[in-house]
Amino acid sequence: MNDVIMIGAGPAGISAAISCAQKGLEVLVLDEYLEAGGRLLGQLYEEPNGSWWNGISESDKLHRQAMNLGVQFELNTPVNNIEKLGDHWIIYTENKTLSTNHLLLATGAAESPVPVPGWTLPGVMSVGAAQVMTNVHRVKPGERGVIIGVNVLSSAIAMELKLAGVDIACMALPKMNAITNQQAHPKKVLDSLLHVSHMAPSQFVKMGSKLMKNDFMKKLGVSFYPKNGVTMWDIPIQLRKAVVNIYGNKQVEGVTLANIDTNGDLVAGSEENVATDFVCIAGGLYPLTELAAVADCPFYLIEELGGYVPLHNEKMETPLNGLFVAGNITGIEGAKVAIAQGTTAGLSIAQHAGVDGLEDEIKESIQVVEETRDNAYIQFHPKVKKGRKKVQDRWGNYVGTVSD
Amino acid sequence: MTENMIICRCEEVTYKALVETANQYNCSARELKLRTRAGMGYCGGRTCRHMVDKMAADLTITKQTDITLKYQPPIRPISFGHLGADES
Repeated sequence: MNDVIMIGAGPAGISAAISCAQKGLEVLVLDEYLEAGGRLLGQLYEEPNGSWWNGISESDKLHRQAMNLGVQFELNTPVNNIEKLGDHWIIYTENKTLSTNHLLLATGAAESPVPVPGWTLPGVMSVGAAQVMTNVHRVKPGERGVIIGVNVLSSAIAMELKLAGVDIACMALPKMNAITNQQAHPKKVLDSLLHVSHMAPSQFVKMGSKLMKNDFMKKLGVSFYPKNGVTMWDIPIQLRKAVVNIYGNKQVEGVTLANIDTNGDLVAGSEENVATDFVCIAGGLYPLTELAAVADCPFYLIEELGGYVPLHNEKMETPLNGLFVAGNITGIEGAKVAIAQGTTAGLSIAQHAGVDGLEDEIKESIQVVEETRDNAYIQFHPKVKKGRKKVQDRWGNYVGTVSD
Repeated sequence: MTENMIICRCEEVTYKALVETANQYNCSARELKLRTRAGMGYCGGRTCRHMVDKMAADLTITKQTDITLKYQPPIRPISFGHLGADES
């Protein structure tokens, strides 16, 4: 039996493993992927100070630091179930069953699909899959692609694909249906992009965001949105065009684009075909919470955090004894926040395991999480702090009802 | 085109089947799943779960504290041999 098991070898899981190991605990980290690093592996972007954040080298640094502290890793090991038996958490993997007193769920996030007619053709992939192919496996997803869905994640990955020499014909919205809804509405998409406009090198977008301070101006922004789109890193971003169909015989050969009005409704007769050999669908990220759900952890739906999140407090404890969470399972944020949360979770676990005198260190680490959040370059949701506050309030209510 | 679009690949459930069922029975995400089998295939609903949720969400009041579609182990596909394997 291990003192601690972390499920997920991403930034949160590894940093938690490091802080536990530094306090003398024996730690095992499990991950279903064949390399350590999680979603961090795919990241590559230029920071405001001009240096580059390279996910592969950041992952490597974390992984090596953990190994040097004696942390064990078992990769290629999907966990298919967990359950509580007495004081122990039992972890079921394909080849063996493990047990521990302290379990951290750092399972990260998954991507929401964007259903557009033809989306089941070979050659259609999530934008995150294109990122992994390009940055991790160094395989081009194709020569020329179209990205359906304009959001923070897809914009960042479009730039990475461009750096890798993959041509992006355009980014456009999906056709409106009962599922795509908000992502197909030009004004709502523009609203969601305004808070990340500082990332855009294009002067048009930068100036535009200053002009579009109020709703009226935003509407104007969409109404007068240039017919040929705005280019960012030479990629046309079309907020007034939607992909109505992905076509091809046995695999992707192209997409049909049509003009849309400010509400996302199609303009009849405006269809045009664009030849491509791959298509990325980008529906955004949601917390990957399956294991917390099978463990019967209470949940709350918090839109600002990307979906249902397991109830937890600032020390990353859940209401279930010995079960902790860190990283994107608690809400969609960047890797730096995940690393900071991992440190807090690791210290909390060490405290539970009987290491004394950690209270101040835990408080400081919670402070670091907040500072990291305030200084984050990319925020996936503009009101993430409000979402975090909601979880804390829920925790207060929950603990109140249980002890009453 | 949109009507024939597949939403649940494992059980080959179309967009049209889900929209019509949701309208006809004014049902919850769980009922929509059980009536159409969307999300009940090999992958355990890993891809279509949120789409099924969204198609029912307009008809029901989303409960903030309840996950609409239950998660059940195994949460990753696993062979029967491994599932019931004797460890000795």
